[in-house]
Amino acid sequence: MAARTVWAAGRCSEQAGAVNRAVRRLPGLTQVRWSRYGPEFRDPLTDKGHCRKPAAELTEEEKYDQDLGKTQLIKAAPAAQTCSAFADPVISKSTNMMMKGGSKVLARSLMAQTLEAVERKQFEKYHAASAEEQATIERNPYTIFHQALKNCEPVIGLVPILKGGHFYQVPVPLSDRRRRFLAMKWMIKDCRENKPRRTLMPEKLSYELLEAFANKGPVIKRKHDMHKMAEANRALAHYRWW
Amino acid sequence: MATPSLRGRLVRLGNPRKPVLKPNKPLILADRVGNRRREKGEATCITEMSVMMACWKQHEFRDEACRKEIQDFFDCASRAQEARRMRSIQESLGQSGSLPPHKMNKLLNKFPNKPHLS
Repeated sequence: MAARTVWAAGRCSEQAGAVNRAVRRLPGLTQVRWSRYGPEFRDPLTDKGHCRKPAAELTEEEKYDQDLGKTQLIKAAPAAQTCSAFADPVISKSTNMMMKGGSKVLARSLMAQTLEAVERKQFEKYHAASAEEQATIERNPYTIFHQALKNCEPVIGLVPILKGGHFYQVPVPLSDRRRRFLAMKWMIKDCRENKPRRTLMPEKLSYELLEAFANKGPVIKRKHDMHKMAEANRALAHYRWW
Repeated sequence: MATPSLRGRLVRLGNPRKPVLKPNKPLILADRVGNRRREKGEATCITEMSVMMACWKQHEFRDEACRKEIQDFFDCASRAQEARRMRSIQESLGQSGSLPPHKMNKLLNKFPNKPHLS
């Protein structure tokens, strides 16, 4: 897990130069928010299986790593990092994106209520359906969440490129990380903005997730709009230089 | 070609001719080199993208119908990204023969040019 470094435009200070020599320098940018840990600190391990392996099964490299861990300094694990089997990176990321003002407790409870709402709706549908339909109804909220976000991910993105004094929207391939982020961002934004007055977030989000799972709904529409615009601008693809 | 000569080019008391050069800054070597001009690359994965878009047009932008083309596009994009990363690592390691500009500047700052005598 590499630490994210934050940069700002400005003159390089001595202090910035002294800390984190290992980090690659970007010209014209100074690191503004960095961790208090020096480069000798190792990342914490939250994998129980790693520690419980009997000594005979370890390879040379792992043995060396384990011995090194006894003498090296280790960073403190953040509160959100667990070795629990219920910890899901996608759910954690969405919770963090839903969080406002640092209130993780609220965001986590909203996410839990959303998953519960999804599960309840699916169970209602299940009990109301006939025997053949019951086989097709998905009741696990986690699979529904993952599948819905996967359905919302755009395949191609648009980037404004300045050419001849005008900005053109050029179609560009996106990285996996960016696609997942866009899917989550669109989902959360849509739930915050386009909802009737006094609807709670879990209710709206569960509805949107179920719609996205079925490939309908406003987030899927937004993804298709992005694709259509990319298709319309495909001639501008040569404006890219990467 | 040898370095062009500076003899009799500037305005000086001993120089009878009119000046050839009129420099606005003193002619002293700076402790830095200019940045290298980066070659502009061309857009990658155009063919995969056009194939995918043709498939989309055919099937009304449904993703399930175009799985293969989309997968090809993703593979091409990841390959292009890997190639770019390798190229940037190669460049940061060093150009064939000389150092990259930022390392050269660091070296020159350690041994600055002395316009004064002592």
